Formats: sequence, structure tokens, C-alpha cells
Amino acid sequence: MRIDVDALKCIGCMACEMACGYHKDDAFALLSSCIVVYRAREKKDYFGVVIKEEESLIIARPEGLEIKRIGVAEEPDSSGQKREADASAKPMLLREPCDLCSGMKYGPMCVKICPVGAISIVEGGE
Amino acid sequence: MDYLSSNKILIVNLESGEITEDELDDELVSNRIGGVGVTSFLYDTYKDKDPIVLGTGLLTGTLFPGSALGIISAKSPKTGEIAHSPFTLKAGMELKFTGFDYVVVLGQAGKPVFLWLHDGVADIQDASEIWGSDVWKTTDHIRRGMGDDLIQTLAIGPAAESGSELAQICINYWGSGDCWGFGKLFGEKNLKAIALRGMGLLEISEPEDFVDQCFEIFENINKGSFQGKAGIQDIFSAMGENDASEWLLPSVHRNSACYNTPYPTNTFLYLDEDPKTVAEPAAPEPGFLVTDPCALLELKRCGLSAKEAGSVMRACARYGINPTAVAEFCARSGEKSMENIEKSLKDLKGTISIPDCGRFSCWAPGKPLFSNFDVSDTSEYGVWWKRRQAVAYIFGVHPIFANMAPELSEELMLQMVNKGTGLELDQEILDKVIEDVCN
Repeated sequence: MRIDVDALKCIGCMACEMACGYHKDDAFALLSSCIVVYRAREKKDYFGVVIKEEESLIIARPEGLEIKRIGVAEEPDSSGQKREADASAKPMLLREPCDLCSGMKYGPMCVKICPVGAISIVEGGE
Repeated sequence: MDYLSSNKILIVNLESGEITEDELDDELVSNRIGGVGVTSFLYDTYKDKDPIVLGTGLLTGTLFPGSALGIISAKSPKTGEIAHSPFTLKAGMELKFTGFDYVVVLGQAGKPVFLWLHDGVADIQDASEIWGSDVWKTTDHIRRGMGDDLIQTLAIGPAAESGSELAQICINYWGSGDCWGFGKLFGEKNLKAIALRGMGLLEISEPEDFVDQCFEIFENINKGSFQGKAGIQDIFSAMGENDASEWLLPSVHRNSACYNTPYPTNTFLYLDEDPKTVAEPAAPEPGFLVTDPCALLELKRCGLSAKEAGSVMRACARYGINPTAVAEFCARSGEKSMENIEKSLKDLKGTISIPDCGRFSCWAPGKPLFSNFDVSDTSEYGVWWKRRQAVAYIFGVHPIFANMAPELSEELMLQMVNKGTGLELDQEILDKVIEDVCN
């Protein structure tokens, strides 16, 4: 099982991020969340969600999912450019991966708290 | 205060450069609860030094639905009396996690500065390079300089620097609920911006109970009357402005929410791109995020198209001027040309009407949205609205969302604050604080 995100439904409220932070820290904090609203392109209204898994970063963009293998060198795109990550996304790699809120009675808290049903659980691993 | 709090009140004297911290003691919270209850107390405490006070509610930054609110309290240049202005998006939450519950800004800096609050640290930084810049360039400059795109800014533009009473403090690139001319106060203090970023942590007195109840409230709310609705277009419908909803829809790109607010109260209009664009647009600045439904409605009433109104609001946010004031001038002059309105911003002078919204911002529509809150007589809306806003500003709940979620009762907010802090606040104390902040 893993978390799936429909970024077009996402309203960027960060409730998932704070719920995840609570699971990790037993307090309200955002530093340890393994699900993060991707909101660095504010002037373009371009936002989605990033999830840190054991071996991958799942980037849910409005136009679809992108999966990046952690530790695997990124290939340049068709223009020969390597896509630059936002500065704010870099600390994601240092965070603990998603454990589907193991041990929490609610199940994955991000799924439960998303007000627009943008986050769900799907069968299958990474 | 050990819980739902950083336990710090920051006092910044811009004149001397001195920065000190006080504890947020339990007695103050027991008497004034938080949010506007405490900011108005701090305003009174430092009244002789012309303070600008920022603060958050005890619920701000938690999992309590709608917990997005930060507040600015100061003497309005328009009324000469204390007034309160809301700030939302992610800025209220970010202030809470900077490590400061309240910030009191005193004095006038000798040169342009911005205040940088982050991770329990407060720095007064030189802003000479950005003095004269518009709000967008100011936010870009601060974010680039700090290397962090998620910094939230409360910033002013040229309108405030020129001493205009129509000036507005903007959030990042967008308008705010500042209808009180607080932008002018920033300008007088040579304070270009307050930049916020925090990785703090809020402890909870009874964490499991608090979070259990947040989930329960959240589930109740999500069965509520705003389900299936989104954005400013549906707020217009709830206000009885169905034609405005239809007027707006063709320009809507996406709706987005302030921190932990289940209803997306903000609507992004694509002005220079196809609104149906899904992928990241090539244009770096394709549109405008409307956070102020009432201002947009006033511009519609001036005869502008939705796209033109969005463009005027973008120009207002860059210049740092209150778009509702601009709409009032347009209504008076009969000006209907977007280009002429945008060109005229720097020349607008004079007074505008002060809406009957007490000490709170008229940014939140003056009636219940999507639900009647058991207020059936429209003549009671004014009294209901002021009390509802006072409660939202005390606890840190989004003021527009508060008007669409009757499930968030006063009793429930008190109960959650008690669960989160371990205090024993009751309705009598809340009534006293409401009375005080409303009068």
C-alpha cells in the first residue's frame, strides 16, 4: 500500500503536512513531515504535494505523478537541462519516509484529514 | 504558557534597535485568552509608544479546522482608534512557528529596515535596497536573499512609503484584510516588511484527546453546508451575488486554501494565460490570487470585467494600496478604464467611507455564508457578525471560514483551548474579552 495524491484536487491547505508532523513529533510541527505541500511557485499558482517514501520521492504535480528514485542520478530532460529542485524541497531527503502512520489508530492521517479527498491509499508498493 | 504557545512576547524597538523578550504568562492568557484579546492588551500597555502589535490565537497553527489566523492591532490612521486586521494564507501559521506568540513593534527606524523573524530569532535587517520597490519585488528580494521561497511576508509598497492612508499591508504578493491603513504605519516606522519563517514546535497538554477531537470536528464540518463549494465564486453565490459568480468563473484557474482551512477561500485568476492551463505556465507572473471577495465585488460594480478587475487588484497589490478604496474612488469618478485606474493609483488622495464593522476588518462578508447560524432576521446580522469576528480573532480562526462553519461554536473553541493548554477558561471570561475587544 502507498499514498496516492490527486494534485488537481489539492487546495494546498497543508492539513496533511501538519497531521503527518503530529504523527512524527507528538506535537504540532512541520519539520519532520514526510508529506509536504509543494508551494514554492506561488506567483504561478502551481502547487502539488511531495511524499518521501523509503526509496522514492513521489511528486504529485497538477499534470500527473512523477516518481524519483532516491540516490539515482537524474537524467537531463529533452532540452539537455537537469530540472532544478526548489530550495525548499531539498530538506525532504533528510526526513523519515512515510510509514503509513504505523501505530496510529486513525490509519494514514493525511488521508483522513484531507478536506477535498485529494489523498488516498492505493494497493501496491513503490 | 507551556502549551499551544512558544511562551514568548517579542518587543522590538526600531529606534534603538533593542530587542527583548517577555514570557507569555498563564495569568495573561487566563484573563485575555489570546489573539486579539492579548494584542489589544499589549496595545494598551505600550499605547504611548505608537505600537504595532502582531499576534496569533491559541488555536492558530494547530489541527483545529480554520486555524490560519494572525492579527495586526494598531491605531488606524483612518479612525484614530485601535483596530484589528487579519492576516491569513500561510502567514498566520508561520508567525506562530517563528517562536513568538506576539510581536510588539515600537519606534521609528532611522533608515529603512525589515524585521526577520525565524526559529526563535528576531533580526532587524537593512531594507535600503528595497525601499521604493513594489510589494512583489520586495517579497522576491527577501526570499531570494534568504534562499527560501516559503518565507511569508507582510510587506508595504510605494503607497505606504508616500504616507497614503489608503495603503495596505500585503501578504507575499497578494492583498490582505488591512482596510485600516496599517500600511501607512509601517511606512512611518521605515518598516518595509516583516518576514516570517519558523520551524518551531507546539506542545499540546492532552495531545491524543486534542487531535481526536480535531478529527471529529473536521468530520462534522465536512458534512456541512459548504461541501462541494469552493472559491470566491461560490462565496459570491452565498452572498446572493449569483451574477458575480458567473462573471468570475471564466477567469478562474484554481482555488486554494489558507492554512488548515477546509474551504478554499482564495481564487487565482489567470490574466495572461489560459485559465484551463494545468501544467506549470511559462509566464512568470500569469495572474493574481484574489483573497478579498468584497473588493473584487466592488470593482465588478464599477463595470469592469473579471479579468480587468483581477488586473486592477494585481496593480493594487504591487503598489500596496487597498483595492476597496480604489473601487470607491472609481465609483465616485465613474472611471471604467482598467488602464486609467491602474495609472491613477499613485495619485489617489482623499478619504473613503469607513464601513460599520467595529474594530474588525470588513474583509469578511457581513453575513453568514452557506448557513444561517440560526440568525433569521437580517437586521441582526451586524451584531452577529461582530461577535463572530471577535471570537475568530480571539482564537485564531480564519474570519471568513468562521462565517461558514456554525459547527465551530464558542463552547467548542473554549473546550479545545482548554484541552490543548490545560487551562480552565470559561464562557464568562470569553464574554468579558469579547465585550472588551468590541468596545
